[in-house]
Amino acid sequence: MLHSYDDLKPVTADQYYEVSRFLNYEYRLLDEERFEDWLNLVHEDIHYWMPGIENRRRENLLDQGFYGTDHMAYFDDNLRDLTRRVARFLQPSAWAENPPTRNVHQITNVEVYHGETPDEYVVYSVFQSVRGRGLDEEYVLYGRREDLLVKSSAGFRIKKRLIVIPNASLKFKNINTFL
Amino acid sequence: MSNKIRTIDITDSTASLDQLCDIENGTISGMMFSDEAIYRKELERIFARCWLFVAHESQIPNTGDYITTTMGEDEVIVVRQKSGEVKVFLNACPHRGNKVCFSESGSTRGFICNYHGWSFNLSGNLIGQHESSVYEDSNFDKSRWGLREVAKVDSWKGLVFATFDPESPSLEEYLGPMTWYMDALFDNQEGGTEFVGGCIRSTYECNWKIAAENFVGDALHAGWTHDSGAKAMLGGSVTKISELGESYSVNWNGHGYEFALDTVGNVAALGEKALNKYIYQIKPSAEERLGAFRSNMIASVSSCTIFPNFSFLPGQNTVRVWQPRGPNKIELYTWVLVNKSAPEDIKEKWRKGAMITFSPTGVFEMDDGENWEYSTKTAKGWVTGQQNLFIGLGMDTLKRDTSLPGNVFSGQLNEANGRAFYQYWRDLLEAESWKDVPDRNVGKAEVQ
Repeated sequence: MLHSYDDLKPVTADQYYEVSRFLNYEYRLLDEERFEDWLNLVHEDIHYWMPGIENRRRENLLDQGFYGTDHMAYFDDNLRDLTRRVARFLQPSAWAENPPTRNVHQITNVEVYHGETPDEYVVYSVFQSVRGRGLDEEYVLYGRREDLLVKSSAGFRIKKRLIVIPNASLKFKNINTFL
Repeated sequence: MSNKIRTIDITDSTASLDQLCDIENGTISGMMFSDEAIYRKELERIFARCWLFVAHESQIPNTGDYITTTMGEDEVIVVRQKSGEVKVFLNACPHRGNKVCFSESGSTRGFICNYHGWSFNLSGNLIGQHESSVYEDSNFDKSRWGLREVAKVDSWKGLVFATFDPESPSLEEYLGPMTWYMDALFDNQEGGTEFVGGCIRSTYECNWKIAAENFVGDALHAGWTHDSGAKAMLGGSVTKISELGESYSVNWNGHGYEFALDTVGNVAALGEKALNKYIYQIKPSAEERLGAFRSNMIASVSSCTIFPNFSFLPGQNTVRVWQPRGPNKIELYTWVLVNKSAPEDIKEKWRKGAMITFSPTGVFEMDDGENWEYSTKTAKGWVTGQQNLFIGLGMDTLKRDTSLPGNVFSGQLNEANGRAFYQYWRDLLEAESWKDVPDRNVGKAEVQ
């Protein structure tokens, strides 16, 4: 989705610091299950996309390589979709969330560039999500992310997020978190 | 002894099936899910014998199009021939057994093994090898060493099935009158159905039967397990299934379909008004094709499993196979189904709607996984695994006076389909051959 950005210009150290702080803050909100606060960081026009990964030969790749725009996806969400997912987490009858899942989200390899307008930032990163459930369940997921952040007087908002994992088959039953 | 915990003197789990799976008295036991010997027997007597879903025709429309999947734990290639027919081969080279196709989907002129360069055409014939002269020196007969083909392939309304067993009944006989009900999803419009691109795979630490049985006839769990998902998607409390009115559980040869006649109960769970509207728009033409009864089923509160491991939800349009990966593990393959003739924006809403409800990130599926995993895990306990588990709802609900085909039971909040599923499972495990499988069908084999 962000591949059309040519000649990306790196931001200043101060801007990099600001964006990094935002990314860390966002992940702490998720780890603390502050889902409504997290939703406040989401732009009203968000496209939150985590395509399904397909194990294909090089000569048979899809429009985006090993994922396709109109193919199945773990997330292909707008704000309403994300709000509905949050609504489930907040239901007392979300049986599989009680006892709660214990989350640690980590973000590294952060690169920040100027976007097409002065208030936009293009951010590449690598994430790690570790979830603990029950006594002995542990689920680790790594992936790459491409974000488009928009800065307003209220702070950064996530306008686009592309989440690409290396796995064509998940090693566990669900992704009961955001990435 | 109602539900008193007991242990059985078990030296051979497969010989103790009458105690572990006592359908007449409405009990099963966790050992059926956790036992390694039973699982090995299932691979032999169920997955190497039954008709298994391998592909939708729309995934491989042109010559050379293929997908790879598994039949039980056996890896197979499903490929479209020049003649238009579909062939299914073991995805293993007959030289050293290496996999010959590593891609899940694509288009090709043939398959070449990475190991010693054995090369096969679309028909599976061996057409060449690296250093072919040394084979000639050994009087090698190429014609005997093609890819191993399954015994039979057949399709029904876009769904391609295959079986390893040449003695198996025909697909038509195997599915029996279930197809009459399956039409409600797979043939409600001219042109039939197609799969959305892709396949989402995930892993559950659960036994395959628990998941298959959930779809064969467990509407009961929906209102309780999925309360949070339903509230999230619909923004309010959900109608109780017991209040939907007329509903049924129908089974045949271990397959089962449970359904209400409320037309839109399942599709409503996607929370997209446009999809409800589409269902009502196509309902008159569905009624012309299928009659009034089945036009009420096209997206109603319903679910189905075709024995052993192919399941779907009309309305949510998720289609899936619970691939066995050991007694305590499945790999779940899911696809999204749409009517070919549906407008693009409707197909798009189904693509997203099926995923936000029934996928690893789905607000419904998340609560299923937890239940199925722990129903399997508790059975590892020696005593717990032999505990009687109750599966006796609706024991006396068989409808003898109905014109509907199949073994018809009144009410979808009913464990009749679950019992029939486990009975067929047990019958197959105990049967040396297909002719030893008792015919327990009591309803009409055909529509009258």
